[in-house]
Amino acid sequence: MTVATPRRFVRADGPDKVTGSGRYTADLTFTGMLAAKFRYAEIAHGRITRLDTTAAQAISGVFAVITDADVPDVRFGPFVADRTLFARDVVRFEGEIVAAVAASTPEIAARAAAAIIVEYEPLPLVTDLEDALTAGASLVHEHWAVYGSADPVVRDRNDASFSSITTGDVDAGMAAADLVIESRFVADGCHAVPIEPRAVVAQWEGNKVTIWTSTQVPFDARAGVCETLEMPASRVRIIVPHLGGGFGGKCGFHYEAHVAALARVAKRPVRLVFSRREEFLAPDRRREGMVIDIRTGVRHDGTITARTGWMAMDNGAYTADAGFFPQLAAMHIAGPYKIPNVSVEAHLVYTNHQPSGSVRAPTAPQACWALESHTDEVAAAVGMDPVAFRKLNAVDTGDVGPSGQTYGEIGVQQCITEATRLVGYGETPLPHDEAIGVAIGWWPSFAVPSGAYIKLDGDGSGQIITGAQECGTGAVMTLRQLAADELGMNPEDFELVYQDTSVAPYDMGATGSQTLFNNGRAVVAAAGQIAEQLRNLAAEFFEASAADIVLADGGAYVAGSPVATVSIAELAGIAASGELLIGHGSGTPPATPQLVGSSCVGDLGMAAFVAPQFSCHAVRIRLDRDTGVVRVLEVAAAHDSGTIINELGALGQVEGGVMMGIGQALTEGTVYDDEGRQRNAGLLEYKLQTCADSPVIRTHFVQIVTPDAGPRGAKGLAEAPNVATAAAIANAIAKLVGTPVRRLPMTPERVWEALQS
Amino acid sequence: MSIPFKLDIELHVNGIEYPVTIDAGRNLVSVIRTEIGLTGTKEGCDDCECGACMVLLDGQPVNSCSYLAAQAQGRTIVTIEGVMHGADLRPLQRNLLEAGGVQCGFCTPGMIISATALLARNPSPTDEEIRIGLSGNLCRCTGYVKIVEAVARTAAG
Repeated sequence: MTVATPRRFVRADGPDKVTGSGRYTADLTFTGMLAAKFRYAEIAHGRITRLDTTAAQAISGVFAVITDADVPDVRFGPFVADRTLFARDVVRFEGEIVAAVAASTPEIAARAAAAIIVEYEPLPLVTDLEDALTAGASLVHEHWAVYGSADPVVRDRNDASFSSITTGDVDAGMAAADLVIESRFVADGCHAVPIEPRAVVAQWEGNKVTIWTSTQVPFDARAGVCETLEMPASRVRIIVPHLGGGFGGKCGFHYEAHVAALARVAKRPVRLVFSRREEFLAPDRRREGMVIDIRTGVRHDGTITARTGWMAMDNGAYTADAGFFPQLAAMHIAGPYKIPNVSVEAHLVYTNHQPSGSVRAPTAPQACWALESHTDEVAAAVGMDPVAFRKLNAVDTGDVGPSGQTYGEIGVQQCITEATRLVGYGETPLPHDEAIGVAIGWWPSFAVPSGAYIKLDGDGSGQIITGAQECGTGAVMTLRQLAADELGMNPEDFELVYQDTSVAPYDMGATGSQTLFNNGRAVVAAAGQIAEQLRNLAAEFFEASAADIVLADGGAYVAGSPVATVSIAELAGIAASGELLIGHGSGTPPATPQLVGSSCVGDLGMAAFVAPQFSCHAVRIRLDRDTGVVRVLEVAAAHDSGTIINELGALGQVEGGVMMGIGQALTEGTVYDDEGRQRNAGLLEYKLQTCADSPVIRTHFVQIVTPDAGPRGAKGLAEAPNVATAAAIANAIAKLVGTPVRRLPMTPERVWEALQS
Repeated sequence: MSIPFKLDIELHVNGIEYPVTIDAGRNLVSVIRTEIGLTGTKEGCDDCECGACMVLLDGQPVNSCSYLAAQAQGRTIVTIEGVMHGADLRPLQRNLLEAGGVQCGFCTPGMIISATALLARNPSPTDEEIRIGLSGNLCRCTGYVKIVEAVARTAAG
């Protein structure tokens, strides 16, 4: 099958965004609207001994002050029901919400929140991942044996969730090795940092509530409101205005129910807008810190014989969507390599830190950084070039991966070839302060149900009404192209109607790189129904057989007679007085592969590799040996994400993912004080990469029509570019330093310390 | 706690005079977004770090989160809503769309203000000058590549 040349088109929501006319949630106002503020725990672990809202209630302009006592008695959580809307008896991280206030201005609301009296009895802090797993460790959730859970979670110490992958005989594999290499790595947690701080507006009419919110997952947000406020889905409507980035940080159910509960008590619309500091401290979506041990057995010829891995991941105080992340982490420590004997286990550990959860390719950048640093150490131990070592051991078409899945056509080998070619690996000697590092990575495309409707109105203009959520990636924008191609129309003939749970069918949201992969299939199916209607109308018009009708260039004609055409608009006009042009689709996700791994919470994380994406990043850096400062000069990124529908959008995903990866490699890491509180919860202290830091980025797409992919062989793309960059930078640094920097981020201080050792 | 005192001022925004009564301590971004009702200017950090709130003040780009509204009296303010030529997009806006320099769009208004000021003081910037000129505006989506390309295209006419 040949691959069509991808197109480059301007995104449909672009004009709203360059003129300032596009409305984001914080831009919305309603008559009589109040401002919300939260009172946070501010300590990482303590028992509430006094909670008194009397003084706050008495402040003029305050309309509502609510706590745990004012909402239904519901514990929730997607994997372990360990959470309540408001703290109940115990606070377990500094950003836990104790109370909420609605007042006539943000200033009065802030004053009232500060006037709430809360006193605590301090409880022992749990912050060290390995200590937390020891037998005598204090428990973050003393009574979690009684919490509900979706699966039979083993409630053992602070081990919130675990996963293991075991194949072959590791002891025999290690015994067969000529060398066994062992490494330990420690990664700090970090943040998604969308530039838009989140916002929520809630307004009640009778017993129905409409909530405008900056979420990546509107249907998940609705489910959370329904569960915690005990309402049917039919009475909760979630609308997402333009969304100012998410990167996973706006996945999950967040503050929609808090604001709705405030609005119900206050009998007014209420708006919550986060400060940047709150954006850092409160959400249960943070990239988890990790401790990672890897051991690999290798023969002198470079063949890997066995691997063991153990990792502990910082879950934080509550299990958000991180419940299944041990599976993803285990897949990344096993890696996209042919290894006959593997034993890897990953543990998600409760601590008194902010909860972790989806951040662009959750677990992958840290785990890939560790694995690929280790891979360079293994290659060096047997005296092999690290690129040649990867080509020898990486999985290829027809190979069996660590989860027992046999891969169809995949492009990891081509990715290695292309990325190293683009960066000129090994071609010319580099200056003494420069080096090139290479790393490979992989990432799944989650195969889940997803729906869309399409209608063509009487004038022939179309609307795609989709449950999919646009968070900036452009994936939803691409749906116009798919519909237009099915109907022989132009993308501009379609408007996108999305982000309203009462209008569109279900979609999982802007998460798991799944929008194009799943909703694309739904849109193609919906358009196919309309195409059939149009062919029938044209067949009647031409007195021909529907099977002979061709839809192209905005019209229909009988095959072989393209001169006589009838326009789609004319056919739509005919339909308007009869059977209306309405299509619906939900596509069919591909069947999941046979797996050998095991996990306490199902196998979603491994099954999602059904149509795996691959990448190779090759990075040239310069190191200032006096200061430890690393400058990234050039990044070559080769990606197998299947076929590319919109090249412009695809390039933007890779370039953005690479830049985020550079930040995670060099500057972005949460620093805690001795009390378990974040010390760098602001953009002054937590440094993102700026335009002045940006390197040359060269991208190559290895376009393969993957079996079990989405429409036209496309896979996801939004997360994959964020997997291998930090690892490639690490390998370049290690070449110049002479040893890996075993802490992430690889800050100038850490690089300098490694230089001294 | 200090007792806020009110000021009656006039702000000249996008060619229109707006009389407003504000607390003396209010920052410019909140007055533009709330009293004047122009929400194209975004607030991302309240810390002068992200640049989403940039407006032109007498032609100079400033972070309006860290600028008192009262200090802007008597000066010419241009927000993203004042950048267009009537109903037409400016070349910079069009180039941002066509080069792919817009994703989530939250940094875009500040980025356009910043780039407009850059091109006004240096009509033919090098790529390096563009990178440094836009380094006060954080973008988390694009990796900056296509934004730099759009500004370079605009400079090249």
